[in-house]
Amino acid sequence: MKKTVHVAEFTRLGGQVTELDPAEFIALPPPYDKMEKPPIRTLTDDQRKRMDTTLDGIVAVGLQPPATPEEEKAFIEKFLAGLEKLFSVEDNWTFLQPLMHTLEYCVKCQICSDACPVYVSSGRQDIYRPTMRPELFRRIVSTYVKKEHPLLRKIKGSDIELNWQTLARLAELAYRCTLCRRCAQVCLLGCDNALVSREIRKVFSQQMGIAPKEIHEKGSVQQLRVGSSTGMTPAALKDILEFTEEEIEAKLGRKIKIPVDKKGAEILLIHNAGEFIAWPENLEAFVIILDAAGVDWTLSSEIAGYDSINYGVWYDDVQFARVAIRQSQAAKSLGVRKISFGECGHAHKAGIVIADRVVAGDLNIPRESSLPLLEEIVMSGRIKLDPSRNDFPVTLHDPCNMVRLMGIVEPQRRILKKICPQFREMTPHGVENYCCGGGSGFAITQSTNFPDWRNSVSGRMKMKQVLDAFQDAPGPEVKKYVCAPCSNCKGQFRDMLDYYGAWEKSSIYYGGLVELIVNAMVDLKQPFIQWEWH
Amino acid sequence: MGTLIVVLTYIAYVFIVVVYSVKIVAWLRMPPHIRWDLYPVIHEEHYRYGGSYYEQPEWWTKPRPRNTWRSLLYSLKDNFYMGEYYERNRLYWLFLLPWHLGFIFIITFHVLCFFAAAAMVAGLDIAAGSAQLAGKGFYYLLLITGGIAFVTGTFGSMGMPIVRLADRGLRNFSMPMNYFNYLFFLVVYGSGLLAWLFLDPTLDEYRTYWVGLITLTPPELHPVTILHIVLFDLFLIYLPFTRSTHYITRILAYFFIRWDDEPNLRGSALEKRILGLLQQKISWEGKHIPKGKSWVEAAIESGLPEKK
Ligand code: SF4
Ligand code: SF4
Repeated sequence: MKKTVHVAEFTRLGGQVTELDPAEFIALPPPYDKMEKPPIRTLTDDQRKRMDTTLDGIVAVGLQPPATPEEEKAFIEKFLAGLEKLFSVEDNWTFLQPLMHTLEYCVKCQICSDACPVYVSSGRQDIYRPTMRPELFRRIVSTYVKKEHPLLRKIKGSDIELNWQTLARLAELAYRCTLCRRCAQVCLLGCDNALVSREIRKVFSQQMGIAPKEIHEKGSVQQLRVGSSTGMTPAALKDILEFTEEEIEAKLGRKIKIPVDKKGAEILLIHNAGEFIAWPENLEAFVIILDAAGVDWTLSSEIAGYDSINYGVWYDDVQFARVAIRQSQAAKSLGVRKISFGECGHAHKAGIVIADRVVAGDLNIPRESSLPLLEEIVMSGRIKLDPSRNDFPVTLHDPCNMVRLMGIVEPQRRILKKICPQFREMTPHGVENYCCGGGSGFAITQSTNFPDWRNSVSGRMKMKQVLDAFQDAPGPEVKKYVCAPCSNCKGQFRDMLDYYGAWEKSSIYYGGLVELIVNAMVDLKQPFIQWEWH
Repeated sequence: MGTLIVVLTYIAYVFIVVVYSVKIVAWLRMPPHIRWDLYPVIHEEHYRYGGSYYEQPEWWTKPRPRNTWRSLLYSLKDNFYMGEYYERNRLYWLFLLPWHLGFIFIITFHVLCFFAAAAMVAGLDIAAGSAQLAGKGFYYLLLITGGIAFVTGTFGSMGMPIVRLADRGLRNFSMPMNYFNYLFFLVVYGSGLLAWLFLDPTLDEYRTYWVGLITLTPPELHPVTILHIVLFDLFLIYLPFTRSTHYITRILAYFFIRWDDEPNLRGSALEKRILGLLQQKISWEGKHIPKGKSWVEAAIESGLPEKK
């Protein structure tokens, strides 16, 4: 029988709260049921010494143990001071109401557990229950923030004795949740355990300056400093765009000038700059479509104006606001009528929905998704399309941020149904989709053994869904396409398909939506999608 | 004894109404938050598949039809049905639903008793064989609501601790208070059930009790009925200390968090409130956050020293 993990175990000094056993993970269909390499690398002794690994042996944050008892005390006190701020209107008006509601009204019925892909995929490890983080958090709040009477804490079972290691484990645990909010969707009480994960991340970042370096230092900080989390400066952007123009000319047989900083354009397209480097074909496809449809658009070369990412949405309200404001400023200085976000889920949610109550006045420039615009172009017949060019199995991944979190469900489907004769849905899909496993910054978190965990645990349910969607042609003879209109999801698919050897075993490739549209364009002599891209 | 239960009942009702109101007002008075909507949003036109107004190009130029009644019915429905529990943990649902129905029906029963008693004071005869149709109607309505309350409440309170202990996840997240609640509520409903089955099958005593409350005349009641009424009053006083406000706050959370898709349009009242909130000073201590600045000021700065 599975060992039950109690909250009290998070306060135990030393040891590991849970040992993951890949044999317990949910099964994948053959031949994926037998992995040749160990699914999760164990850390070296040196890594274990430098970083706290006592949650599950995985490292995303990797807090360094304090050198002295004084250091430990100072750490705990600073954290608790931050925790109090979470409950203040001044410091946390942004999420006070949803946070308070979840903390007060969750009845711990565990109905949300089975909705969580991480919990289920891991073989139902207690530590990954959506309720585990909030429970640990609630006890710390009850004991140290509300300072409830010890007797009351006994009755409520909310007593806890804090030490540094508990906090180190809490920090790690906040990065075992993809913020997909599938758990929140099934809660009849309107509670949202994903939000608690985010609020925990926030205390660590806003109060302690602690966050995975890929998200903070190399992410939002780098974006604010040079313009993009990729490190791409405005000058480098220009070089990349020139290269993109050449590529387009080679494929299309004619040159298209990519508009940059075009004053008074109708649309400012903010794209995920990571695409320019990792999947340049996505930008190329956008350029080809917008040009063919005669859209008046431009890119920006302003700081943050050419990179749609806004990692703050996962961990830090201040960083979030900084990027959102700069994106709006870029649009304002160009005098565009609206901002359109390219294929990036978290950028959609961040830039269109979350920023909605951050930017105001003349910075509140209308913002929308590019998917309805693409749908309009495809359906209007403005570009000539031949669906037989996409006659291979295609399935659609729903990025959580775009679909469950903002209700853009059908435009991408209507496009695929029109241009892909072998389109099939995953089960479940739409607003009930499963996260790719790379949500909330996981896809870019590459340190130590975290990618192994991401591929084998948080992404496992999605991998299973993909394989199930293609079960009519499981072998490598038939080439198959997972359409993921999101850069982060694509990052996760790239790693995960490689991890499982899905190209070799099943010829499964992934890509965006616009690539499929351009692939169907009769103007192109050669197919746009090159399977060799895998 | 009669005087005691009249006084206790008034205290209990005033207490529960005041504390519930305070809690709900406090909930509602929290400042507006950043949007955190989750789909399907039931007032949306395409709620069936979870679509939003963002599915249209230039959504801000289009009407945003909103069906508030549908949302209200949807959110209320689950107070009586609890569909997710039915789908995801049927055994739990089997006890949880009756347990909750017990709450709803016992409160409804007492509210109806009040109206019945008021009607009796006005001259209505409430009995099975009443010559007045309204009297007959009241009689059966009280019998049905009271009966359902006692039976479902007792059944649920007996089953809940069993299912909680039998389920690994539920057991691990249980607190001593849960088991106290089950026991206490079992005594409340059980005493009502016993009084009804063996002493007062027409529930006449409750009408007498409520007439006494309205006319401020201490009623003459059987000791078991008195016991149940005292327990019920204590139950009313105890409820605000539990999470029971969730009957209401869950609906608020649906409307004001999960389904709050109100865009912040230029010049709107919402924009004004947000601008006010953005002026507040923040005290976060992370190195990337400037000290003593407001949200706006902190957001305008890039937060880190320039690279040398
Ligand atoms: S969050 Fe909701 S579904 Fe999950 S345990 Fe709490 S009340 Fe139940
Ligand atoms: S947000 Fe997603 S990953 Fe996180 S606990 Fe909920 S269901 Fe699990």
